[in-house]
Amino acid sequence: MRYLYYPGCSLKCSGKGYEESLIPSFQALDVQLDELPDWNCCGATAYMSVDQDAALSLALRNLALAQRHGEAGDHPVDLIAPCAGCYLALHKAQHFVAEHAEAAAPALERLARAGLGTGATVRVRHPLDVLVEDVGLARVHARVTQPLGGMRVACYYGCQLVRPYAVFDDPDRPSTMDRLMAALGADPVEWPLRTRCCGGTLTGTIPQVGVRLSELLLQEAARRGAAAVATACPLCQFNLDCNPRHAADGGGHRPLPVLYFTQLLGLAFGIPRRRLGLERLLVPLRSAAAVAAGGPHD
Amino acid sequence: MIEPNRVPGAGERDGGPRIGVYVCHCGLNIAGKVDVPAVVEFAARLPFVAVAREYKFMCADPGQKLIVDDLREGRINRVVVASCSPLMHELTFRRATALGGVNPFLFQMANIREHVSWVTAEVPDATEKAKALIAGAVRRVALHLPLEQKRVAVHPDTLVVGGGIAGIHAALILADSGHKVYLVEREPTLGGHMAQFDKTFPTLDCAACILTPKMTQVRTHPNIELLSYSEVEKVDGYVGNFTVTVRRKARFVREDLCTGCGECVAVCPITLASEFDEGLGVRKAIYRPFPQAVPGTYTISRRGVPPCQAACSIHQNAQGYVALVAQGKFREALRVILRDNPLPSICGRICTHPCTGACTRALVDEPVNIPAIKRLVAEMAGDFRLPAPERERPQRVAIVGAGPAGLMCAYELRQKGYRTVVFDALPVAGGMMAVGIPAFRMPRDVLRTDVGRLKQIGVELRLNTPIGRDLTLEQLRRDHDAVFVAVGAHVERRLNIPGENLPGVHGGIEFLRRVNLEGPFSLGARVLVIGGGNSALDAARTALRCGATDVRVVYRRTRAEMPADPREVEAAEAEGVQLQFLAAPRAVLGNGRVSALECVRMKLGPPDRSGRPAPEPIAGSEFRLPCDTVVATIGQIPDLEPLGGDGLVRTRWDTLAVDPLTLETGVPGVFAGGDCVTGPDVVVNALSAGRKAAVSIHRYLCGEDLRHGRELEGSYRTEYAIDTQGVPVRRQLRMPSLPPERRRSTFDEVHTGYTPEMGMEEARRCLDCGICCECHQCADVCQAGAIDYSMKDERRELRVGAIVLATGFRAFDARRIARYGYGIYPEVYTALQVERMVNASGPTGGEVRMRDGGKPEAVGIIHCVGSRDENTNRYCSRVCCMYSLKLAHLIRERSGAQVYSFYIDMRTPGKGYEEFYDKLLAEGVHFIRGRVAEVSDWALDPAEQGKLVIRAEDTLLGVVRRVPVDMVVLAVGLEAQADADEVRRRFNVSCGKEGWFQERHPKLAPVSTFTDGVFLAGACQGPKDIPDSVAQAGAAAAEALALVDRGFVELEPNSAFVVEERCSGCKTCVPLCPFSALGFDAVKGKVWLNEALCKGCGTCVAACPSGALQQHLFTDEQIYEEIEGVLSHA
Repeated sequence: MRYLYYPGCSLKCSGKGYEESLIPSFQALDVQLDELPDWNCCGATAYMSVDQDAALSLALRNLALAQRHGEAGDHPVDLIAPCAGCYLALHKAQHFVAEHAEAAAPALERLARAGLGTGATVRVRHPLDVLVEDVGLARVHARVTQPLGGMRVACYYGCQLVRPYAVFDDPDRPSTMDRLMAALGADPVEWPLRTRCCGGTLTGTIPQVGVRLSELLLQEAARRGAAAVATACPLCQFNLDCNPRHAADGGGHRPLPVLYFTQLLGLAFGIPRRRLGLERLLVPLRSAAAVAAGGPHD
Repeated sequence: MIEPNRVPGAGERDGGPRIGVYVCHCGLNIAGKVDVPAVVEFAARLPFVAVAREYKFMCADPGQKLIVDDLREGRINRVVVASCSPLMHELTFRRATALGGVNPFLFQMANIREHVSWVTAEVPDATEKAKALIAGAVRRVALHLPLEQKRVAVHPDTLVVGGGIAGIHAALILADSGHKVYLVEREPTLGGHMAQFDKTFPTLDCAACILTPKMTQVRTHPNIELLSYSEVEKVDGYVGNFTVTVRRKARFVREDLCTGCGECVAVCPITLASEFDEGLGVRKAIYRPFPQAVPGTYTISRRGVPPCQAACSIHQNAQGYVALVAQGKFREALRVILRDNPLPSICGRICTHPCTGACTRALVDEPVNIPAIKRLVAEMAGDFRLPAPERERPQRVAIVGAGPAGLMCAYELRQKGYRTVVFDALPVAGGMMAVGIPAFRMPRDVLRTDVGRLKQIGVELRLNTPIGRDLTLEQLRRDHDAVFVAVGAHVERRLNIPGENLPGVHGGIEFLRRVNLEGPFSLGARVLVIGGGNSALDAARTALRCGATDVRVVYRRTRAEMPADPREVEAAEAEGVQLQFLAAPRAVLGNGRVSALECVRMKLGPPDRSGRPAPEPIAGSEFRLPCDTVVATIGQIPDLEPLGGDGLVRTRWDTLAVDPLTLETGVPGVFAGGDCVTGPDVVVNALSAGRKAAVSIHRYLCGEDLRHGRELEGSYRTEYAIDTQGVPVRRQLRMPSLPPERRRSTFDEVHTGYTPEMGMEEARRCLDCGICCECHQCADVCQAGAIDYSMKDERRELRVGAIVLATGFRAFDARRIARYGYGIYPEVYTALQVERMVNASGPTGGEVRMRDGGKPEAVGIIHCVGSRDENTNRYCSRVCCMYSLKLAHLIRERSGAQVYSFYIDMRTPGKGYEEFYDKLLAEGVHFIRGRVAEVSDWALDPAEQGKLVIRAEDTLLGVVRRVPVDMVVLAVGLEAQADADEVRRRFNVSCGKEGWFQERHPKLAPVSTFTDGVFLAGACQGPKDIPDSVAQAGAAAAEALALVDRGFVELEPNSAFVVEERCSGCKTCVPLCPFSALGFDAVKGKVWLNEALCKGCGTCVAACPSGALQQHLFTDEQIYEEIEGVLSHA
């Protein structure tokens, strides 16, 4: 299996642990990821509202590059976008072109001048989608060498993965990550906040609101006995991992490690911790909670 | 039955067509888009057109009068009307044409509304298209011929499909008018959804009190034949003459005998969720949905042969005895076991239990420990006897070999009354079970007791009697009427390596036999056992018990490929046996006696013929294992020498060749089976062979066909899938066993068996795959003898003149809206569940109770679940507001809880409905306007702890509210039945995109369909409440009566006809006609057509290569002319 891979900015800097764990875990499943050459910014979440044309052009250029890559190999191409923000921005660009042909025309013309197509045939995929639909949980399960030992994981999907386009999972109650975690031997926590807001960029702009939102998530995950939170979005991971609650709570609460689901995938496959970017976590997985819950440790 | 209609006055008085064209405005429907005067002007100039007129509404009386007058006054003799679709008014204008004194088929319609004005944007385009269509119609009608309509008698009987309130009502009206009615209902009872309700809105009268008397009326009505638990499979024919095929599903209880006493329910061991109680209550596998069901006959739910039973080569009914054990009915369980197996104690211990390999429970956690339960049943029964033969037969059958195959065959034949004599060379009975399997797995007294029971019923045993020198097979054949050879496979295969003959090298079976017959003997301290099967492990564990201290099993593949039972491997390791994988013996080394085994290391290569990876030696990897004894257990072959050479054929694997279906050898009357045919195999397959032989021998002795109907003998797989979603994980209960350190020194049985309590607990893990387990408990208690497991689905053909479809609706599946938590939070219910809850005969006896039995303090009702929703259904389900009000009232009345009703709009149009809403407002129900966003158990403050929180925007207050409640009721909408599309195809009616059956006209023909003779009643046509359903059922019945009481229908004269001069006599058409209306006249060399049989399908017309077959109303000339006309203007 081979896929084209669009890292986006996060996976190269603040969310590097995501990429570091994604690539070897997929390799362990014989899934090869080829980074899209000459990729650029996805256009990001907010830019579309600021300058629609510019944001669209950015997203479409990536899709067009992917399409050209596919045409060279003469097959429709699947482009994996692990960052939930990129995933949504790329999907949104395709929807926009299909639904608002006129408004999209300038951007498309710009691409045409550069000898690029529309990128309409590219299938934008999320790694969770690929794991569940293409690889299959049976194959994932068969590859597990270090089962997660019933570790209580709260699977947190965030908003952008399944909304507004519920491509591969239920928009209200997604379950792919939960099923994946169960296949790895973890015990996913039943909780209703799977898609509730993490605070998004409000953490930086209006911290009293943003920080509070991610704190609510951590509080509820802890209350339900989670030993870790698994995420599929660099911004979610950042907001939850950096929440001051971890530091401030001297008594009462143990800090809750917040990981990328791919890091847990890698651990279950027996990939050494240092190859999974785990050292980048602010709340280390080695924390007492994870160990007490029977989770993996050194 | 076909009678020619009178031909209306001829229109061909004076040659040549004179056509009148009438263009309709249809108010502004047409005139708003089509320039009608221009079209009329255009039409007037077309060839043959004598008159062209326009009128505001051609279908109205003055419009029709224009046509009639022009015809009567001789201005025209053919008519074209340009207006709406022929579906609307073709009949109207044909009548006007006839009224004008001209044959009604000298008329043609041009559709300039649906095909033009409604679908064209610009006036010039619409006008031009209208002109083209009219030009086509004019040229076509010029070629029309006067035609006669056929009259066909209507069959007076009627069919109503669906036994809910609509179907019941329609059936009663039709029956009261004196017509015979067939009422087909697919569930076991009449009543539909209404039977589930407690009260009906707005009057709050009891649903059962008004429904059940009508159900009884149906049952007792002399004109109604109720076909419950039946489905319509096929509908042929046409209006007035339908032929309907109904499949009557097997209930396994005879309707004519069942008295409805219910004794069967009390003894049935299988419990499952009750569909009628919407999963809130339970029912048995034999059931009646509710006490007032009509008919009152019980029904058995059977899914088929459970996987365990299918996998077992003797088809032991495992689900049956497991279900009985779960209830502590050990004696009854034993009876079930003995139906198929006379050796339960043996099989409960050493069978390799293919049943557990197929067990569905493994998809959840682990299979049910079926053999352990069987063993317990046999132990609990203690000293029981096998059933004695019911009759004696004179024939004698000799059985050679007292192993499992021989014993099974002897038992089965003895049951049939034959005299059976079993010969065996060994001093003990049991064959390999006695000499190959060690006592710690198969205690000798257990074996003796099981075999002893066979002797009790008259099976004769002659031990120490080898067949060969003293007593030949030939002699046996002379003295007996048939012979079964089941000598097993007791000769050890050789290793074929150097040193094999050194003292200290034993064959595994030889070693086990010696220990079993003579007792333990010393092998030295270090023992190597070669092989990976059960025998190898038996030998290794026996070696330990003989005093060896270092026992190692050498196997050339890995643990995953070991043929031995993993449990036995585990037990052996626990006792201290070591396993050496990926090693193959090369030579036995030693000087006068074994001192070591030279092995080579192996690696796994690609799969071999058995599907397992083939081991390949690694060059240069030889190594030595020092030892005192080598036991080689690598398989056995049968000893066939003593049987002699006459007629018995051997295979190249040194086994006996037999017919696999019948086990016949080449010698008449001699059959063979078990290990001597298959090579070493497991006990249950030998038992299966014994039974197979018994069947063959019985048929042979009765002179019957040996081969007929034997396909399902032996192990097979079942195809159906069981839903294991939500089954809680509960692992297998391990059987207690002796501690490993004690085991090593004793031949006492290792596994000590379940206690009765353990057995019952383990048995409760069974998922009841087949639903009914065929334990026959119900048949045993049924005094009326109504239980009939052999019942099969039956098909009946009905002839009816009219059909009323009343197939109802299904409730929206609330799981589809995950944010409302149905199926996630136990306290989220659907409205139908709450209907059952508040029903006095429901699972809580009418109390509003939470799952823990407590009374709710606050209840939320969420409206429009699966209605008025972009993501599910956009339509309003019409009944939910009203039933939500009703439930709010009942919940308050029964529990005193505060009720919060979340609505988008209250929709209460109906007599007394708004008043009911007012009443509820006064009762203090809290109405909150706003669609609910989510239901969750996420508590933000202490007041929400342990509650379900309903989050919704209160659009009247303009705030988001969080309302904590104990119970949530989802007012689920109505949806078309899941199989609506299949059903509509069957009856040839159409569906809207939501799946509701399409009425002929939304206002003027609400109960007819586009298929004449098929009418609609109730919610299958769209969501409606009880009063509307009943009203519509009455209307459908009346329309059906209008049809059947008229006694005839006029058919469209669209039959085919033969243009003889073109017919070449090729006969292509003859076999194609689905109605056998075509024949061949050999004298003339032409085909002929029986017009009475022709249905006008057009198949022959399309197939005829020379254009000799034509169809009235659609002749080639007419169609080409119409096309030419359209194109001439395009």
